[in-house]
This record gives sequence, structure tokens and C-alpha cells, in this order.
Amino acid sequence: MMRVLAFPFIVAMLSLLAVNARAELLIQITEGRTDAVPISVVPFAGAGDAPENVSDIVRADLHRSGQFKTLSPKDMLSRPTSKEGLSYRDFRVLNQEYVVIGKLKATGTGSYEVSYALHDVARGKELISETYRPPESQLRDVAHAISDRIYEQLTGIPGAFSTKILYVTHNRGAERPYQLQYADADGARVKTILRSREPIMSPSWSPDGTKIAYVSFEKNGLPKIYVHNLSSAERRVVAQFKGINGAPSWSPDGQKLALTLSKGGNPDIYSLDLNNGDLEQLTDHYGIDTEPRWMPDGDHLVFTSSRSGGPQIYQLNVDDKSVRRVSFEGAYNARPEVTPDGRYLVYVHRRNGSFNVGVQDLQRGTFDIVTQTNMDESPSVAPNGSMIIYGTQHRGTGVLQAVSIDGRVKVELPSKEGEVREPAWSPFL
Amino acid sequence: MRSFINPLFAVLLAGLLAACSSTPTEEDTSATDTQPTDSQSSPAEPVERPAPSKPDTSSIPVTADNFHNHPSNYDGTTDTKVIYFAFDSNTVPAAAFETLRAHASYLKDNPNAKVRLEGHADERGTREYNVALSERRSEAVQKFLRVQGVSSSQVEIVAYGEEKPAAFGHSEMDWAKNRRVVLNYTAGRP
Repeated sequence: MMRVLAFPFIVAMLSLLAVNARAELLIQITEGRTDAVPISVVPFAGAGDAPENVSDIVRADLHRSGQFKTLSPKDMLSRPTSKEGLSYRDFRVLNQEYVVIGKLKATGTGSYEVSYALHDVARGKELISETYRPPESQLRDVAHAISDRIYEQLTGIPGAFSTKILYVTHNRGAERPYQLQYADADGARVKTILRSREPIMSPSWSPDGTKIAYVSFEKNGLPKIYVHNLSSAERRVVAQFKGINGAPSWSPDGQKLALTLSKGGNPDIYSLDLNNGDLEQLTDHYGIDTEPRWMPDGDHLVFTSSRSGGPQIYQLNVDDKSVRRVSFEGAYNARPEVTPDGRYLVYVHRRNGSFNVGVQDLQRGTFDIVTQTNMDESPSVAPNGSMIIYGTQHRGTGVLQAVSIDGRVKVELPSKEGEVREPAWSPFL
Repeated sequence: MRSFINPLFAVLLAGLLAACSSTPTEEDTSATDTQPTDSQSSPAEPVERPAPSKPDTSSIPVTADNFHNHPSNYDGTTDTKVIYFAFDSNTVPAAAFETLRAHASYLKDNPNAKVRLEGHADERGTREYNVALSERRSEAVQKFLRVQGVSSSQVEIVAYGEEKPAAFGHSEMDWAKNRRVVLNYTAGRP
């Protein structure tokens, strides 16, 4: 199978927004699955002059997913770069189940031809063979696209390596300490969207990945909700009511924002129609109602409410506005999010004074704590439902970590500079 | 002295633990100018100083538990611009009453003065929920000023949650310093 792909959208997004890369994220895996699949990604031929090391990126992607155990090139018996040169036996003796080979060729005018193939070692069979022809600037995108293809071929789940992570940084002492940034899912290519003297909060992606919404206190220190187009860098204020303007969450059809407003005297959930500006109040309770998230069906929201005392998770039917409680374990459950398949509810749970990420299986009714860190917050689920990224503290500084839904894979994303928090995983781009 | 503090500390700890289990009344009590009912330190102070008319504050040790209600944080004039709160509480502490009355008098005497009540929370818990909690603290101070006769047009509130900490550490004392309402005069500063 041969495929040729281009990435016009991503290029537009990156070139127009490139401001500066400050807080760089480094990613390392701290705990993988014991049954991770052994795979060898052989260094690609012709990679010497290319600005990105495509095979290294693919190997790191697969390793970071926790689903694969990658072999270091120095431990390989041979390093084939073509089908003809591939000896399955060399990988079989190292107990490798799959091998990826490939090559790069400069085609002039700053472009490359990248070919790769995935082989099943045990069956001695080629599973994928593809060629991409990207400009030099998109070699990294091609590497992530290759990782996505391999991941899907071998797990049956689409890969999420070509996605982005949006997050807030706080660099105390800087003139504009609050920044809204995004990076590739592997932490590379950090871009700054906004810098401010005042807080920036609650970034949220539109379902098509072209826009974001967030809360910024930049104007006179008062909170407003902005919708920001990533490719044009144009933005507009969509909520600036008296009191709280917070917690924007995009509806699955991209037409509405759920948000928290306290203009009625206390925090309630509202739905804002982004086309005509119509505002509909969805909850009306004297307790705190906040942190709304749409469920994938678009007919329900989950949110945090103090209506029973401490914060608990509730589900709201948007049509008849009926509300039912869904979290029952412990005295503090907040900031819910639902996985793309609608099966799991992910939220912050307090136990013995420690704040952790919990996963509630809405089908089976089970609840599990999946993190062992403390002060965990803002969990956000990858669009393929495989991983949860969240904010926590490491040595007194805000950092991002990721954990698989089943808690078996843990990934650390320490920042080189400043605090990093409130990660929001993009949809498939 | 030491043997005196230990049972006192136990009382404070019990109060803190009770606060941790977060009852509805605790989070939803809107503060008034009446005596706070849930302050952890109020039962402890009379033990330390039985029935003082003007307590000698220098002898009451400042702890994370009594910080919000410690007299040393409030000078009774408009020079004091920060009101502290107990964990999970939006009750204005009794020690701040005189200070807030001074602000109320100032605002009534200076109708052009405007104050913004900036509510803050400590870092524990989720961010938007903390914004909501900190708004309740601002509202408690607003209500206090209103009861004293301050015009509502002179008072604005804004909730920052845990986004603008005053102390950047992660100890109980850092948290005590962050649970606060700042009286920020936007016009007619005293």
C-alpha cells in the first residue's frame, strides 16, 4: 500500500502562531505495561542531513505510549533499511515481534521522500508500506503520522501522536508570568498563544481543533471568556458578565459553549450559542455549580456541584434540565471529563487529604484511583481514549503527567522552566 | 507552657479535621457580622487568655490554624487591606471586624471611593471550584460592608481562586496566607 500525504492545515497553524518557545517539555516514561509488545524501529537510511530524526521520533512515540517495548539500535544485530536487507531471524532471536524499517531521500527544494514499512517478525510478513513526501518543515509531522499508523495497525486503536497539548504556564518573576501555550503531544515544538500579567485559566479545544476557548483576566484583572482562532490568531470575547466567567467547554457539534457564570447571584451552568450569542441557563441552585463538560452525545453535561455539601459530580440532561448525582465515593469529587466513547468519567478525587485522578466506569459502576501523585488536577483525556494528561506537583513545582485509563502506564512531562498546568489534550487534528 | 499547648494543639487539630470533612453548612454559610461559629481558634483563645478586655496578642503564637483570626493580622484601621479565612470557610473572622468597620466608615465618608474585593483560595482542590469558593469569600466581605451601610455601587467583587497566591510554598502556613480577600481600592484610596 502506498500513500502520499500533505499537511497544509498543520503548517498554517504552526507558522502563523510561532511566537516563542520558552517552557520546553521533556517527556519520559516512568512505568510501562509488563506485557508491552517488543518492537524494533531501525534507524532510517539517509537521515544524516535531515533536520529531524524521523526513526528516533517514531521509536520515542511508541515507547511513550507504554504499549510497546522498543529496542535500542545498539542492541540490534543488524540495521536493515530495505525489505531486501531485512533478516527476520536477526530480530526473532532478540524476541522482537515487529520491526520498522525506512529511508529518507532529499528530493530538492527542501522536500523529502520518507518511506517506511512495518513487518511482522514471527510471520515474516510486511504489514504496512507507505511513502510520504513532506517539505522539510513537516518531517516531524510525518514521523508522528507513521507512529499513528503503526499504533493503529497493532492495537486496533487510532494513535494520538499527531495531536497537541494546550496548557497554561506560570513563570513567577517574569513581566508577563502567565502564558497560554501548546505543544506536540510529545512536548516538542512549543508555541505561545498568549502572555499576560494576569491569570489565564481553563483552556478548552473546539471539537475540530481550529479554535480554543479560555478565561483571561488580562483586562483590568476581571475574567472574560475568549474564543481564539489558532490559525488566524483572531479572537473575540464571548462572555464578560458581572462576577465569574469561567470553565468554558465546547459542545461536540462546536456550536455552543457550556460555561459558569455567577451573574445570577451564585455560580450556575449556562449554554452559550456561539452563532447568535443566545444564553440559556441550565442549572439554578444556590450551591456552587461549575466545571461543566459535555458528554459525547451532546445531550448531557457533567459538572461539579456543592448542592449536597462538598463538591460532587452531577449529570445534567440539557433538554429537560434534570440533574442526577453520579459520584458517591468520598467527600470531594470535582472537574469531571468523559472519555470519547462515553464509558469512563475521569475526575479529581480527594482521599486522606490527597488529590488524585479517579476513573469511574459508567457501565460497570467501578471507581479506581489511577494516580499516586498528590495535588492532581485538570485531567484531560486523549482523543483515542488511551491516556489521561493532568497537572500535579513535583518538588513544589507544577508539572504535567500522563497515565493510561487503566493506570498501568505512567509518563512524566517535567518542564524546564516555570510551572505548567491545566493541560487540555486536542481532538484528532 | 509546653504542656499547655499540646492539648490546645489537639483541639485545633480536631477542628481542622472536622473542617476537612466539609459539611454543607460550612461551605454555604454566608458570613455576617455576627460571631463566627466555625472558627477553629476561637475555642482555644479563651483557654490561653481567660476573658481579656484587650488581649495581649504578642503572647498568642501565630499558627496556620489561627492565622486567619489572629489579632496581629488586623490593626483596626484601613491600613489593613487583607482579610484571611479558615480552611474551607467563608466566614469573616472576628478579629477582622474592627478593620472592616474602619473600611466601611471610610467608604461612607468618601462616596467617590471604590473598593474591589479580590477573593482568593489556597491551592488545594480544582481550579474553577476554587474560583467559586473564593467568590464566596469576597461576597462575605461585601455583605459585611453592606450591613455597615456601604453603598453597593462602591463595592465590586472579583474571584481569583488559586491563580494569584500571596505565598508560593505548599505548607499549611502558605495556604493560610493564601485564603484571603484583598481590599483593593480602585478609586479614592485611603
